[in-house]
Amino acid sequence: MAKTIKLTATDGSTVEFVDEVIGSGAMKDVYFSPDKSYVVGFFRTKQDANSKDRLQNIVGKYRERIFNQVGGDYWENLFCWPTKLVEWEGKLGVVCPTYQKHFFFSDGMFKGKEKEGKWFASAKLRNKFLTPQQKGTWLSHYHMCLQIARAVRRMHAAGLAHSDLSYKNVLVDPETGRASVIDIDGLVVPGKYPPDVVGTPDFIAPEVMQTRALKVGDPAKKLPSIQTDRHALAVLIYMYLLNRHPLRGGKVNDLDTAKDEELSMGAKALFVEHPTDASNRPKVDNMAPSELPQGDVTKRPYTMCGPYLTELFNRAFIDGLHDPQKRPTADEWETALVLTTDLMQPCQNPDCEAKWFVFDNTTKPRCPFCGTEFHGQLPVLNLYYSPSKGRFIPEKNRLMVYDKQSLYMWHVNRFITPNERTKPEDRKPVGDFHFHKGNWILINRSLPDMWDVTEAQKRRIKPGEFVALTDGRKILLSGEDGGRLIVVQLVKN
Amino acid sequence: MRRLPVYILIDTSGSMRGEPIESVKVGLETMINSLKQEPYALETVSLSIITFDSEVKQVLPLTPIDELQLPDIYTPESGPTHTGAALELLCRKVDQEVTLTSEGRKGDWMPLLFIMTDGKPSDIQLYNRMIPEVQRRKFAGIIACAAGMTARTEPLKLLTDKVYSLDTLDSTSFKSFFKWISSTIALGNRSVGATDELELPPPPPEVNVLL
Repeated sequence: MAKTIKLTATDGSTVEFVDEVIGSGAMKDVYFSPDKSYVVGFFRTKQDANSKDRLQNIVGKYRERIFNQVGGDYWENLFCWPTKLVEWEGKLGVVCPTYQKHFFFSDGMFKGKEKEGKWFASAKLRNKFLTPQQKGTWLSHYHMCLQIARAVRRMHAAGLAHSDLSYKNVLVDPETGRASVIDIDGLVVPGKYPPDVVGTPDFIAPEVMQTRALKVGDPAKKLPSIQTDRHALAVLIYMYLLNRHPLRGGKVNDLDTAKDEELSMGAKALFVEHPTDASNRPKVDNMAPSELPQGDVTKRPYTMCGPYLTELFNRAFIDGLHDPQKRPTADEWETALVLTTDLMQPCQNPDCEAKWFVFDNTTKPRCPFCGTEFHGQLPVLNLYYSPSKGRFIPEKNRLMVYDKQSLYMWHVNRFITPNERTKPEDRKPVGDFHFHKGNWILINRSLPDMWDVTEAQKRRIKPGEFVALTDGRKILLSGEDGGRLIVVQLVKN
Repeated sequence: MRRLPVYILIDTSGSMRGEPIESVKVGLETMINSLKQEPYALETVSLSIITFDSEVKQVLPLTPIDELQLPDIYTPESGPTHTGAALELLCRKVDQEVTLTSEGRKGDWMPLLFIMTDGKPSDIQLYNRMIPEVQRRKFAGIIACAAGMTARTEPLKLLTDKVYSLDTLDSTSFKSFFKWISSTIALGNRSVGATDELELPPPPPEVNVLL
């Protein structure tokens, strides 16, 4: 039985750990606390005064900036943020909460292993080794991506860059659609602390790759920053949703593998699905069966992620790939992901692996995963807002309806957005949709001021009452400032 | 998808008979099982094992990690250690099995080589001749291990600057050695340092680093 070591952290509190390494990362050796509620990770190499100062700020000032705000508890689930700093035998260590239970495989071949993102981002690993349950649904992957975008947005808003976002540093659980950003101790404050890593292969931004050979201190050397985090975030989202890498295609830039890698991820990086330059399209003939169908961009084009994400992928991998200023921010990803989940439809094929797909704005929607066409009536709700009394103009978002779906306040009022600041009373559903006796209906549960305004003679729909969703029906969800009007469009197949 | 080919060369000469070779087998088994749990390794790593005594055999052709079964490894009663011939076979197999990048196709990652021996090459001339041949194959890393007190490190140092020595040939030291190898193999998608240098994880305490 290994002995327990007792230390005093820099904040004066007691930290205990069992003297037996449970895991080793690139920089640290990790130990469990006796009750396994937290871990202590000791840096193997000596940290200089600058690093110590930085770590002190990460567990102190920066942590407080995020966690000691209104809605601070919300972040406990989205970050595994270091809480304390300790010193032992001349080595510096950080104390972190233990990862939550759902971030470990509970059964199957990998029982007990951490659910690092790679398992779910790689076509081969998904196709060969994971059970359908472990894989979750396509919708749950949007939820995961949303949480990652939100966590990154929060860090960036606090002026911090993660600097090493990768699927190794984000734990995910597709079963429940949750994600948590880990390994925060490498965090970078632009202009204050230089990063000690350039990132993880697959996620290093092209400008960093391109200047990697330059010495630290050379002004031309590009190091991780908020802008390179944005590149890594875009790659993460692309990989979780499409299970392939956006820049790893068929184009050979050098016959030497190492040089080819450096060019393909750096100076000559090119989006595999670039609409006008097809030279880096992945070659299906060179792929193993386990890499398909995800590897085939003609079968699973990125546009299947819906209009909002398509636009952001264009900005991340076409306009902004070599022009960091043009990359979408984490905030934009968050918004686009929320809007896209409103466009999702359950696939009618019970055996479909993805279970959900994004409505493609056509009159004949079909699931891009299994090819099943949608049959029956499909209500599409077009959302309008009122810039001045009595006038309504369309918003770019729509809400797709499916059976037993809920209506939330962020659908009702344009000034309410779903995020950590959403008030508890606004998180509850205010209505629900049903396919009832051959008709689609919306039942009002708690909206005090909901009206059917289709006819000149408008009709109030009180809480507990319902309205049928027929083609052309106009429903005012709220008369308050920011209240939305819904216009129903019915697709029949 | 690029593969990461990993070649493991194991000395099976007479002196390895008994506990040493059994410990090596247990070490290999543990290593393969742990790689089968690593997402990066499962996706990319292919492994080959070549044994050498008076005979040189590729007991395991280059096989994806999830599909491989550890073959039986035998040691003869006694006899020479044909390390040079092992390198010769290695070069031939690398040429056959590793896909090079060509104009129209991305090739494999540069292979890794681990070589473990408890003695010295009996075919020293061939060994010396093969060293430039091995170097021409552009391995991403060559790690040599001199196992036991009688192992000679000088010939290994001609092959690579990463030479480690195990003092004893017992299961504990082999186990930690193979554990270290598997973490080296799985390094592929770890964070890359701001300074440019292939960093190996620190060897276990049982391994002595020869500088």
